[in-house]
Amino acid sequence: MTHACNLEGRQRLQTSIGAVLIQLSRFYIHTPRHALHYTHTHVDFRCSKYHPFRVIHPVRYFTSYIERNVRPDGRKFDEHRNIKLNINTIKSAETSALVKYGNTTVICGTKLELAAPKAEDPDSGFLVTNVELVPLCSPKFRPGPPSDHAQVISNVVSEIINNSKFINLKDLCIVSDKLAWVLYCDIVCLDNDGNVVDACITALTASLKTLSLPTVTYDPETEEIKVDTNNRISLKVNGLPVATSFAIFPNCERSILLTDPNTFEEEMCGGNGANITVSWNNGFLCGILKSGGGTLSIEQEKEAIKMAKERTL
Amino acid sequence: MTEAADLKECKLKHMKCELNVLSKSDGSAILSQGETVTLISVNGPLDIKVQNQSIEKCYLEVLFCTKGGRPSVPDRYKEHIIRQTCESAIMGSLYPRTGITVTIQELEDYGGLLSCAVNCACLALLNSGLAMRYVFAAVSCAVDETGNVILEPTYQEVMNAKARFNFVFDSRNKNLITGFSEGIFSEAAYEEALEMSRAASDLVFTFYRDIVTKYSNVI
Amino acid sequence: MKVSVGDVVLPGDYCEEISAAGEKSKVIVGPGLQKESNHVYVTKAGVLKKKNPNTYWVDYYQKRYTPARGENVIGIVIQKAGDIYRVDLGSSMSAALSYLSFEGATKKNRPNVQIGDVVYAKTLVGSKDMEPELVCVDSYGKKGRLGVLTDGFLFKCSINLIRKILNPSCPLLDSLKNEWPFELAAGMNGRIWIKAKTMRETIALGNAILGAEYLSDEEIKAMCANIASILAGHVA
Repeated sequence: MTHACNLEGRQRLQTSIGAVLIQLSRFYIHTPRHALHYTHTHVDFRCSKYHPFRVIHPVRYFTSYIERNVRPDGRKFDEHRNIKLNINTIKSAETSALVKYGNTTVICGTKLELAAPKAEDPDSGFLVTNVELVPLCSPKFRPGPPSDHAQVISNVVSEIINNSKFINLKDLCIVSDKLAWVLYCDIVCLDNDGNVVDACITALTASLKTLSLPTVTYDPETEEIKVDTNNRISLKVNGLPVATSFAIFPNCERSILLTDPNTFEEEMCGGNGANITVSWNNGFLCGILKSGGGTLSIEQEKEAIKMAKERTL
Repeated sequence: MTEAADLKECKLKHMKCELNVLSKSDGSAILSQGETVTLISVNGPLDIKVQNQSIEKCYLEVLFCTKGGRPSVPDRYKEHIIRQTCESAIMGSLYPRTGITVTIQELEDYGGLLSCAVNCACLALLNSGLAMRYVFAAVSCAVDETGNVILEPTYQEVMNAKARFNFVFDSRNKNLITGFSEGIFSEAAYEEALEMSRAASDLVFTFYRDIVTKYSNVI
Repeated sequence: MKVSVGDVVLPGDYCEEISAAGEKSKVIVGPGLQKESNHVYVTKAGVLKKKNPNTYWVDYYQKRYTPARGENVIGIVIQKAGDIYRVDLGSSMSAALSYLSFEGATKKNRPNVQIGDVVYAKTLVGSKDMEPELVCVDSYGKKGRLGVLTDGFLFKCSINLIRKILNPSCPLLDSLKNEWPFELAAGMNGRIWIKAKTMRETIALGNAILGAEYLSDEEIKAMCANIASILAGHVA
């Protein structure tokens, strides 16, 4: 058992990733200017996602910004991106809303249907939300059945809306045990640049707030249903749920909260979407979801809740 | 290696645990918290498909099997929560280009399934000998109609609760790793629930230490 | 939590004793410990041990093998690829064993190793970033006890059991070798190869080893004596 090990044994040459990167960067630096002329002349690397530093060593690129108390896109830690909201973009949908958080774009369309309520809950209608992350929005998603990530986002969005009691499902019931509205809210992400959950909640609340239900008359004897689309009653909503997401960057001494993170920031903080989402409605919390990223101290947690509250005022 | 430990404090549900229950997996644990029981098996580091390999860290896969056996969207969400929790604890950079599989089997659910699964996952990971930054403990809480915070609610209390929480803390600084809420609640109730759970997490950490002490003599 | 040598430790515990010793002299930090900023943190659940003057490690339970340099392991040849054999060690990646790392092997004179053969080899490369590499010779080009294991019986066990039976203070092998003759090779990857004269003796040996995992030294001696008497009774 105590043979000396063959130290000079053949060791096959293994090209490490680091060596490749150094070669790449050397190539980049030493290539004569005219060789790069055609492809690169007019690209300004300073803010581009193709900045060589960012490509070669993304973590150090990111931390060198964070150390200077600024984010790579020039925002402060607690600064949001510009939000754009366009209501009733899709004419064929009942109501719709297009929301942009910086580059992140989601569109929400609602559809109304009639159905019989569930036997165990005869006085309630249905609110069905679904979020789709199509291959269009990011190279990370492939065509086919919804990915795990899409299912998680979908679940988070429907949990927040259901918990907030934004819509009272009893309002969707027309005749107990016989007829109720089914509200389908389909959200499609067109461009995923981080923080999809907040954008989805904004799109969803905007389209629900503008929704009006046609009046329905139901004849219990003939079971005949008459829908009067000209005579509409707007849907009662309760408050306005607002979700605010943060990425938590695990720095040496203390974690750093980044409000409204973009994809690059999300990747630096674990790579599965934002790390903490705080939702408020009517002065009450309706969801605090934290997963992944750095750990959160008591003060930072309070800070996140406070920042999210300020947004709802 | 059959171990069982009791918790003297009545603040949390009675916990019982057995480590290394499965002979073929690299680490396994069965944990009961009150009436809720979960069984977890950990395998890894394993060889995995090239498309899932990462040169920086291991690929962590969590599978959640319910008693009914049919997969659903809420199950995917539970998997996501447990995966994120384990991922923050496991030192993945020590196992590049490999995969770690955590398989969770629900055996009985009488409230607090998620926190039981998270604690059981921690014990199974300890048993597997994978390097971890810290151990983690999950505690569940509920807020009833009158605004009282109940620690480790029973099945009946869960059904009647206005809001339910699951918190996971790390053992180093008792910071929050994962938090998950259902229902509507005030900021004060949240803070109270968080502090109560933070204090109660100590009991779970003591429990882990007892379990490891009991099997340390055979290492 | 703060811990000291001899304690039962959990991941996330830190030991000030080690960091204090590290300020005075060089300290060897073994498996289960990790230095992070100014503290030495525990990463595995077990018992913190110290070997004088300054080596620290954690004894922990493990079944899955992660290759480490210079350990004797038992592998199964699963593939011949070019001028190497691929050998399964039970780790995440199969190991490479060159045709030339056998005693007396040359380009012309290849060793006779077939797929499915069991080899007893030493790890030359055991790094998380590289494929493990095995050799069946020592640095003088001699095979010593390494090489292909013919006949016999191979079984798997936990890595702790290997460490236990190879510990010089463990009475298991000492008591067994006086009872009946056998050959044994223990691989640090949790595999044991045994060979005895008869099937009955092989089974008795395998059961004695597997049964020793959770027994104390005294119990092991009693168990060995018991197995030997049963075996002798039947043989006679």
